[in-house]
Amino acid sequence: MRKLSILLAVVLLVLAAVALVPDANLEPYAETAHTALPWAIVGVAFLLLLALLAERPKAAPPAPSPAEPVELPVAAPPTNQCDAEVVNFLALLQEKGRFVDFLMDDIARYSDAQVGAAGRVLHEGCRAVLLEHFGIRPMREEGEGSQVVVAPGYAADDYRLVGRISGEPPFTGTLIHHGWRAEWVKLPRLVRTRGDQPPAIAPAEVELG
Amino acid sequence: MAPRFSLGIDLGTSNSAVAAARVEDGQPEIIEITQALGPGRIGEKATLPSAVYIPHPDEFPEGAFSLPWRTADRGAPIIGHFARDHGALVPDRLIVSAKSWLSNPHIDPRERRLPWKSEIKEEKLSAFDCARLYLEHVRESFAYAMRNRGEDAALSDAQIVVTVPASFDEIARNLTAEAAEAAGLGKVTLLEEPLAAFYAWTAQAGKDWRAQVRPGDIVLVCDVGGGTADFSLIAISEKEGSLDLNRISVGEHILLGGDNMDLALAYTLRANLEAEGKSIGETQFLALKHAAGKAKEAMLEDESIAELPVAAPSRGSSLFGGAVSTKLDRRTLEQVVVEGFFPKTAIADLPKQSRRAGLQEFGLPYAADPVISKHLARFLTRSRENVQASEALRALVGAEALSKPFLAPTVVLFNGGVFKAAPIRRRILELLADWNDGETVRELAGVQLDLAVAKGASFFGCNRITGKGIRIKAGASRSYYIGLESSMPAVPGFTPPLKALCVVPQGMEEGSEFLIEGGDLALVTGQPAEFRFFSSQVRSGDAPGQILPDAERELEEISLLEVDLPTIEGVPPGQAIPVQINAVLTELGALELWMKHTQSDRRWKVEFQVRTE
Repeated sequence: MRKLSILLAVVLLVLAAVALVPDANLEPYAETAHTALPWAIVGVAFLLLLALLAERPKAAPPAPSPAEPVELPVAAPPTNQCDAEVVNFLALLQEKGRFVDFLMDDIARYSDAQVGAAGRVLHEGCRAVLLEHFGIRPMREEGEGSQVVVAPGYAADDYRLVGRISGEPPFTGTLIHHGWRAEWVKLPRLVRTRGDQPPAIAPAEVELG
Repeated sequence: MAPRFSLGIDLGTSNSAVAAARVEDGQPEIIEITQALGPGRIGEKATLPSAVYIPHPDEFPEGAFSLPWRTADRGAPIIGHFARDHGALVPDRLIVSAKSWLSNPHIDPRERRLPWKSEIKEEKLSAFDCARLYLEHVRESFAYAMRNRGEDAALSDAQIVVTVPASFDEIARNLTAEAAEAAGLGKVTLLEEPLAAFYAWTAQAGKDWRAQVRPGDIVLVCDVGGGTADFSLIAISEKEGSLDLNRISVGEHILLGGDNMDLALAYTLRANLEAEGKSIGETQFLALKHAAGKAKEAMLEDESIAELPVAAPSRGSSLFGGAVSTKLDRRTLEQVVVEGFFPKTAIADLPKQSRRAGLQEFGLPYAADPVISKHLARFLTRSRENVQASEALRALVGAEALSKPFLAPTVVLFNGGVFKAAPIRRRILELLADWNDGETVRELAGVQLDLAVAKGASFFGCNRITGKGIRIKAGASRSYYIGLESSMPAVPGFTPPLKALCVVPQGMEEGSEFLIEGGDLALVTGQPAEFRFFSSQVRSGDAPGQILPDAERELEEISLLEVDLPTIEGVPPGQAIPVQINAVLTELGALELWMKHTQSDRRWKVEFQVRTE
């Protein structure tokens, strides 16, 4: 799992680096890059988040989630259960929002209109998955750009302070990004694993005449 | 021991849901249903799509559709979200709208013929099997959810209420109750869906609800879901200082709903795409329909959106190359959905009836006319006819309500996903006001539209346990008749009219029974006997024992009755014995007919059969 996280982090870095390259160096792909790069970065960052989540020992289920871990009619969970769960979630993003198709396609060959149409499919589907399985709320409810106070004893996990950091909390500063947190997580569960093999991200589809 | 909690099950045409309420607080809570979301993947959702998929034995790996409470064999039917979504691509193996098949008078609901017209080799299912499977799933999922919460909630401690469409006749209701019993739910109480919606509204409004309706009000419960439209009228009157609620009319089974709207939009958008020279296949069309439905919801919710892009992905892995997109603009949306399904028609403008061609296929009786306004007009016109026919009902609604050619509601309660859209609710209110000479009609607001029925059912269940709270009087939704052959001299080319003997009056109360006097019926022992069975939704004035001269002209034939008389001691086989009809409506709302020997206490149960022609 750690390997996957590292790999994803590297991909993220590369994408971010491309985003920083001045447009001139990217000709003739500047237009496409503007549309697609933020998507790609968001996507990979999200995967990374998932990988990290899967790595952590599972926390107690949050309040509104009705189901406890399942008593399944399967044998003891295999060692790669975490991998299988992440691939399972990836499969969901692919199924509803064509996530893997989006990222695996060669974006440079298509016009912005085509990328836009695909982006809408991705956005609608992945958003639906996100909203269904995570209770997503901003970390801070204040508007971005407003002055906020970070209280003493704040959870360091929930904040990234930038700029001049000195003295003791409370800290006062401008809210740049309001952050996101998952109030609850309600992931679909695997009822069956295939030994060492992770589940399919997307099965091959064959139409029979 | 008195039940400790109440379970309300909405066995919907497109989606089912379950809610539970404890007797102490009576607050219904939706219990999410664990179900298959994909091969090897399960999760919880608020609703269980009422869809069964019959897989090919090789289609999925062993155990891919095991549920926490059951391991599934390869090839076992799959229920719920995955069944519906996957089945859309393999229509041959998908059963939907099984509930509407339960009330289809031409096909035996116990015959294993679904998916309809499919040629799969695997064993098919009956409409009854499907209802049983959904209910079984709901029962097991509920037990699983309670176990996980560590709550002790055995079904033996529960009052269970299952909802049925108001348009279901008593035979379809009996079948639903039987399916529930076969699903391990025991004897359940049945409740009409529009009434459940009304109970949900009273539960939500709290004590305040009595202030929002007053004696003299006629409440229209207008329920348009995914696949069906269902109407009911409730009259509010005063009796000994407290409000008295009576359900005075129910509508017909109309197969018309939100899915028709999404489909109509998708056809329009496909035409736009084709005009631009892009063609799309069947799968993309399904995706387009789905996306159009989402765009419709968003635009009807936020009326400031002028247009929304609608995109459908390709089937292959190249998303950029194959996705097609178009736009849904407000004008198209209004034309197709609001004007197409809810135009401002006149009250006298009734739906086109389907052609009664002799060679018509016996599929599901989809509405021939998609205009819901006209179906509503027909319902209100027939309701007036029905109320006019009975003195008791006339007294309930008062003379003024009957002064128009239709029964004008004063209040509307909306239910069903379609009415999440404010513009559609507004349109119905405008339509009713237009018909009512401009007098405004109030809206009872605030119900969570797609889960109200399950919640209302569990709330009603609590009221039943405690004996407190409001109760809408309903009783038999129609009157029922047995066909009697007239004894007339035979004349070539002339069939004597079939007389009809009323055996169940409309509004017959639950827990009551009648012994029909007259009719001079005789049954031959040792032989099965058959009777034709009829019903009417608009003859509230008919009393048990009353004889109508011509059944075929005035009534709707719904079934065939069969009674198998054994040989009786002391009576030579083949001899006729005099009988009387004994009609029973049980406390739980099930209709039973018996043939009772006039000279003894023996009686024989009459079975409802499907009419075959």
